[in-house]
Amino acid sequence: MERLWQIEKINLKHNILLHVLVSLALLGLSPFLMGVENLGAQDTAKVLEMYVALIGIILIPPVFLPEQSQEIRELVSSRYTGSHIVYLVRLFGNIAVLALVLGGYVFMLSHNLCEFPEIRYYLGTLAEILFLGGMGLFFYGLSDNLIIGYMMPAVYFILAVGSGRKHLGVWYPFSMTAGSYTEKVWLSAGALLLIAAGIMLRCRRSGSGRKY
Amino acid sequence: MFGQLFWKECVQTAKSLIYWLIVIILILDFSTQLGNTNIKKMPERGQESYGTRVSNDRAFIMKRTLENLILEYERGSYTTYPIGFYKSVTLNEKEEARIGEILKEAAGVSEKELKEQKSMSDADIDIGPAADLTYEKFEELMDEADDILGGGSSYAADYRLANAQEEMTYEEAVEEYQFLVEKDRLSGGYARLFSDYMVIALGFIPVFLAVTRCMRDRRAKMQELIYCRRAPAWMIIVSRYLSILIMLIIPVFLLSMPLLIECVQFAKGIDITVDILAFVKYILGWLLPTIMVSSAVGMLLTELTDTALAVLIQGIWWFVSIFSAGIMRIQGGLYGWNLMPRHNTEFNYTGFQDGFSQLASNRIFYASLAVLILALTVFVYGQKRKGRFQIRGKIMADRKDKSKA
Repeated sequence: MERLWQIEKINLKHNILLHVLVSLALLGLSPFLMGVENLGAQDTAKVLEMYVALIGIILIPPVFLPEQSQEIRELVSSRYTGSHIVYLVRLFGNIAVLALVLGGYVFMLSHNLCEFPEIRYYLGTLAEILFLGGMGLFFYGLSDNLIIGYMMPAVYFILAVGSGRKHLGVWYPFSMTAGSYTEKVWLSAGALLLIAAGIMLRCRRSGSGRKY
Repeated sequence: MFGQLFWKECVQTAKSLIYWLIVIILILDFSTQLGNTNIKKMPERGQESYGTRVSNDRAFIMKRTLENLILEYERGSYTTYPIGFYKSVTLNEKEEARIGEILKEAAGVSEKELKEQKSMSDADIDIGPAADLTYEKFEELMDEADDILGGGSSYAADYRLANAQEEMTYEEAVEEYQFLVEKDRLSGGYARLFSDYMVIALGFIPVFLAVTRCMRDRRAKMQELIYCRRAPAWMIIVSRYLSILIMLIIPVFLLSMPLLIECVQFAKGIDITVDILAFVKYILGWLLPTIMVSSAVGMLLTELTDTALAVLIQGIWWFVSIFSAGIMRIQGGLYGWNLMPRHNTEFNYTGFQDGFSQLASNRIFYASLAVLILALTVFVYGQKRKGRFQIRGKIMADRKDKSKA
């Protein structure tokens, strides 16, 4: 347990601190760009789904970032703790940070007299955050290229903004704005699969599981 | 040497995974948005609707806008959409008083009449422009009201027009169609529609290619090796930049072909000659400046920081541009200074003509901005070759700023 906490401490201090700050800055910027007070359910959903959820792209794909260099990857995979453990610790750490940041934002909206079902919106947004981030993680794992990890969820977002529900069906990320939560269940399942597949692909690449 | 470098960069790009992913994304974008486009036929009498258009009756626009303003003034809260998201604005006493004065001046009512209107129910409000109010003065007052509200209100130039939408008559619909066929020679209208859809993706996607191309040197550990070569900084950067532009514009040209062929085939049936070069003109004039900016931002910030920061910055720029376009701007004619000018219809030739100088200024501005950013990239690259600007993701890394050369 001590070892896992050490991994997470280093992750927080050296790997994702900048990403967390960027995410906080984006959320801090929101009151200047859009209303965050006295919103109805539909407008609150729009803020959460179309703006806040983007922090998933910023915080989840960098799970593999420290091992971008092949030499570091080889060094990590030669350690007793398997790469998959390191990735999972970082991933859960990043998800915990996301859950906290989102919780803080939802609390702020609720405190600002926005009328919406807090728990449902919180979980719905978290599902979208995980799906966007999971997609980034999957493509990063697949291509070993962080930029592709950022590009694919961004393209998915653009597609959702541009063509809406018509082409995305149950994978439409902005369903809460239209009062539907079914899509969020699909997004949660998709997120789990994408994250699992992303980590597996990355571990295969770095030869995780082998202990010397 | 420039030609060789340029060709090498093109080959490198063609071999990269991200380039082909971008090509697939563009194909997907085209097929989902424009894949089933049917060339519009002449409207027929008795249709249920001929579409809507902005009223050109200035008195009507003024009346509807003032009615809206008094409603919000009465409520004490104003709805705005600064970047497409709802925002409720409550003004302080001084600002609220100024809105009252604007209303009095625009509607030509006294303080007493204004108070009477304020106490009425929403449905009973009946207020119109003052008899001596010119449209220019009305525009000036509404612009001021919009400024007080922080922009994106119902009183901003494009939203005031949205207040006065009306159904088109058969005659007006036929006139619109004739503009498309005669003035735009069919392909002009569809080239605008094509540009409208493609500009959304091209406002963001080029940054990914630019960042990848610039990071590749470092990942392949070739950075120092390239630094010490004879080729000057401008040659390396400009050849890379041009290769990115060319490699991105090729699939865009190819994607425009199906729509052009559709136009040519349709034109044969109604005996008109389409403008074969329309898509080329629109791609170069409308889309290229956007691709130029997005790629230049990617190159500058990657060379400067050696990180993917450009993705975040361009992402924010894209987000603000796309959502601030507003409902009226996407119909064309009101192009403003948006990085991604919209014209989401094959019609509205008149709007395009009216807004052409604005559009041309916009495109020239962004093309010039891209050249400026590129010049900065050359400078940064030159400095890095001398051992300066070694930031590598650290904010204070270059504080000693000593040349290694």
